[in-house]
Amino acid sequence: MKILTACSTGLGSSFMTQLNIDKALKELGVQGVETDHTDIASVTPESADTVFVGRDLAETAQGKNPDVVVLNSLIDMKEIKEKVAAALERHGVEVPNK
Amino acid sequence: MLSEYFKDDVILFAPEVSGWNEAVDKVAAPLLKNGAIREGYVEAIKKSISSPGGTYIDLGGQVALAHARPEAGVNATALSVLHVAEPFLLADSPDHPITTMFCLAAKDSNTHIELMQSLAGLLTDADKLKALGEAKNVDDLKKVLS
Repeated sequence: MKILTACSTGLGSSFMTQLNIDKALKELGVQGVETDHTDIASVTPESADTVFVGRDLAETAQGKNPDVVVLNSLIDMKEIKEKVAAALERHGVEVPNK
Repeated sequence: MLSEYFKDDVILFAPEVSGWNEAVDKVAAPLLKNGAIREGYVEAIKKSISSPGGTYIDLGGQVALAHARPEAGVNATALSVLHVAEPFLLADSPDHPITTMFCLAAKDSNTHIELMQSLAGLLTDADKLKALGEAKNVDDLKKVLS
């Protein structure tokens, strides 16, 4: 499974979100999930299984990938953990520490 | 790690600013002065913020991470921060009140990984985020960011 984060420039907000998702994966006890960050224009259906974006890119991201997750805050670990866990389960990945 | 970046005059406090444009000018000023960024980078940040979806730099918790592409004018990876006591509205949007704006200059999309890890660690720490929000002066900010 691959989770991608995207923002307009592909190096600030998206990178921070990727790092926070890595942290969430660790806390959830999930291994083997690939993560990366990019700019929103580069996102395709093949880029990843799930794409996480901030709320202001929700519309732009729709349709670029079959599974787009919108975050209200990019630094709220509670929200990130919940939404990462849900995405993992949608894609059949077991979440030990939910 | 963050203290390596937060040296000298890159930590700023202001009671208030006239709006997000002034916040960007203020937070970018020390990086222009020390040569980490060129003028075009500041303009690129402003253009990005005023474009559709430009409020993506709002990280949540009234914190914004102002940045643009390296090719817009980055000479060296660097970071600065401005905290204002009175929130201003990012892109004039009432949905995006901001009190702390970081300015990130990244030379490319991966070399600043340690910097981003430290910053992510700070901002996902609820106590530190609270202390950042309640800072009353530069010394308070330095304590949180050291």
